[in-house]
Amino acid sequence: MRRWSFGFNFEKTPSIMVLLQPDPFLNELTKMFEQNKEKGSVWVTFKRSTLKCKAVRQRMQTVGELLEYRCLVRATDGKKKISTAVESMETRQILICLVYLILRCEISGQLSTKEHQKFQASYATLLKAHMDSLKKRDRKDKKK
Amino acid sequence: MVYIESWDEFVDKSVQLFRADPQSSRYVMKYRHCDGKLVLKVTDNRECLKYKTDQAQEIKRMEKLNNIFFTLMTRGPDVDITEASMKEQAESQQTKKGRGRRQ
Repeated sequence: MRRWSFGFNFEKTPSIMVLLQPDPFLNELTKMFEQNKEKGSVWVTFKRSTLKCKAVRQRMQTVGELLEYRCLVRATDGKKKISTAVESMETRQILICLVYLILRCEISGQLSTKEHQKFQASYATLLKAHMDSLKKRDRKDKKK
Repeated sequence: MVYIESWDEFVDKSVQLFRADPQSSRYVMKYRHCDGKLVLKVTDNRECLKYKTDQAQEIKRMEKLNNIFFTLMTRGPDVDITEASMKEQAESQQTKKGRGRRQ
C-alpha cells in the first residue's frame, strides 16, 4: 500500500478528495447521512467545472479546443470528503489524470444523458429518504 | 449574510447570480438532522444568497432547484431552465391525481 506514497502519508492528510463514480458516490453519501444522524451536519456542493487545472484550461482555449463542463458534486461532513462529476452530453473519454492514479482514486468516466438523469433521480430519492427530521406541515402556524 | 425569506426570490436571484458568473458560482446545501434544519446557499465569493427552512414540504422545492442547477451546470448557463422546472410540476400533478383515484 505505502509503496505508492513517495514518502507522503495520505492517510494523515484530511484534505484529499475522493472522486467517485456516481453510484459509489451515492452509497457513500447515504453512509454519510446515516453517520451524522444523531449529531453533525452534511454539506453538498454543486459546482460547474472542467476538472482541469488552470494551465491546461488556458492551453486548450488558446488552441481553440472546446472545454467540457460537468457538474462537480462534492459532499462533506467536516471529517470526510467525497465527490463525483456528472456530465450531460456524451463526450469523448477523458484521460485519467496521473495524480488521481497515485492517490488511488477513480475518475469518473463517460456519462450519457440517461446516466445523468439516473443520478439526478437517485440523488433526489436519497435526500427524501434521509431528510425526515424536518417538520411536517403545521396548519396552525404556517410560516408562509 | 441575511437569509432570504421568499423562496421565489431566492430561486430567481440565485439563478441570476449563477448566470452572471458560472465559473466561480457554487450551490451548497447543508442538512442537519438532529436539529431538523436545511440551509441552501448560492454564492460567487462576492455575493451570498441563503435560504433556511425546517419544513418537510420544502424538500419538493429544493428538488426542483437541484434539477435547475444540474441542468445549468451540465448543459451550460444559457440553457432554458423552464424544462427542468416544468417537468417537476407535471410529476407533482400526476401524483396528486393518483392519490385522488385511490380514495
